[in-house]
Amino acid sequence: MSPEIEQFLSGMKKTIEEVVMPNLTDKFAQEQAGIVAASLGFLGLIQDKAFHYELLENQEYKGILQAVIELLDNTFSAPTSVKETSAKVSEQFAADKVDDPVHLRPYKFIRGSNEVMKELLCVFIQQQPEMPAELRNSFEALMKPFFKSIELRERSWVKALGFDPEAEQQADIADLLYKDGYLNISKS
Amino acid sequence: MREYYTPTLKNRAQPSDDWIESIRQQFPTERTLDEVLSKKLRNRSNPAEHNTDFSDLETRLRAYLKQVTGQNDIVMENLHRLSGGASKEQFTFNLTWNQQSGTRASEKLILRMDPSESIVETHRLRESQMLDAMWGEVPVPRVYWTDPVGEPLGHPFLIAGFLEGTVQPEGGDKASGLGMFFEPKLRTALKDQFVQHLAKIHTIDWRSKGLSSYDSPQSNSKQANEWSLGWWERVWNEDAVEAHPIVENAATWLRENMPSVEKPVIVHGDYRSGNFMYSDDHKINAVLDWELSHIGDFHEDLSYTTCQILGTPLEDGSVLTSGLLSKEEFLDKYQQYSGNTVDPKRLFYFDVFSYYKVAVISVATSSRAAYGRKTHLDAMMNLLSGFGYTGISALQRLLDQA
Repeated sequence: MSPEIEQFLSGMKKTIEEVVMPNLTDKFAQEQAGIVAASLGFLGLIQDKAFHYELLENQEYKGILQAVIELLDNTFSAPTSVKETSAKVSEQFAADKVDDPVHLRPYKFIRGSNEVMKELLCVFIQQQPEMPAELRNSFEALMKPFFKSIELRERSWVKALGFDPEAEQQADIADLLYKDGYLNISKS
Repeated sequence: MREYYTPTLKNRAQPSDDWIESIRQQFPTERTLDEVLSKKLRNRSNPAEHNTDFSDLETRLRAYLKQVTGQNDIVMENLHRLSGGASKEQFTFNLTWNQQSGTRASEKLILRMDPSESIVETHRLRESQMLDAMWGEVPVPRVYWTDPVGEPLGHPFLIAGFLEGTVQPEGGDKASGLGMFFEPKLRTALKDQFVQHLAKIHTIDWRSKGLSSYDSPQSNSKQANEWSLGWWERVWNEDAVEAHPIVENAATWLRENMPSVEKPVIVHGDYRSGNFMYSDDHKINAVLDWELSHIGDFHEDLSYTTCQILGTPLEDGSVLTSGLLSKEEFLDKYQQYSGNTVDPKRLFYFDVFSYYKVAVISVATSSRAAYGRKTHLDAMMNLLSGFGYTGISALQRLLDQA
């Protein structure tokens, strides 16, 4: 496969910045061309990591949903609505098995599966007020480190866009995704 | 284009009448907000991309102005698209016409028009009524004509006087004015005015103004906050292109910890650098962008304005509110100018609310507008989602302290 995607993006960015923008007279067009160039620069930095980002999330969401189901299995007082959500998670795990070699699947399969799992986790979160206090406390304890991992990962992903006033304090996304040269799924 | 990975995502991309009705029931908000949000959803299935070609705008605008003034001898010239901004398409033009006083005059005007879908879906009649209400109270542009339906130009719009001044200091190239840097001398000149105008907004008797498009919440009740949260929860559930556990958790927290509002006031909703303008003699001569205004708790504005992510980081690690002053100084001055007492507990509630709102606007709606190719700023809308994810991170860090 050649040229590589990074080369295409880099060529387009240079052309827009050095050829197109200096010759634009309309301020609105200049502003938009600058945004396109910035977007291309960002894509150049992250394009080779998108698949692994989704793959890592796939493992993380499978892990947290398994933990929630295990929690519910050990709780007698879970409300019916929560049990129904739990059953939907089991259905999803039939479509994308926990031990499936998902890294061999196409990107869109993984992305779709992740979206289903995110929606199911959000339903559990919405159902927190229905949970008895003990169950809710246990659920919150499970979610706390999970929320932390999401926010660190996402903030690193968008770090290069330049909006983060604390960008220098955020890890590079490659340092979060990989460990010892492999996808860092042990952290999940 | 992306696939619909789940039924929820399909409903959001191709909303049916039944689904729109269910969303309306689930997240009650003000009448006119319900009107624009429902309209947005009904239009969403229209496959047409937003048309960025405005070659026929001049003809349509001239015809509208002739009709609305009842004058065939108007002269309209120099129609230009403005750069900057993140939500509405803006154009300037010069108009010569016979004004109400009978004198024939020329004035530079601004046309502010909705794209097919915006980063914030708002009502031009609300904005127009609020600008009228603020006329003579704080510096604002004068509104001449409003069309909240949008038939004459294809989209809803308002036309107001164009004020000369500076929004971004020289060298400022910040998207939508976020994180703008003012030199110390300019900070000193502007900071008190900045706080005074907000204090004034919060002390205006809004019931005496012609704000018929705004619903009036009850005092000493949660109604105003229920409408505010309902507004942004609804927008999240209409626009998000993926589910997000932190945002969902924040919504749950905001519902469960909602305070009542003792005395509702006019809330600007987007009071920050980028949304005011100053003259060469360093006077704030316009407070802009009233489209998110509503009646609610003054703490909502205070939290939003002092939100770190909207501020200007300095080399020493501190952050200036709107690039002008520290959060502590801002709150001290606000209490002094308004007579209102800041309640730290309410302020914290609205800190969470502000980051939630930033997340909804920047992650959900900006992505959705670009997804449907429905704005004149699709590239920028994608880029702004990065701002939103930084906001979600800050939101989670706040919730960790709750």
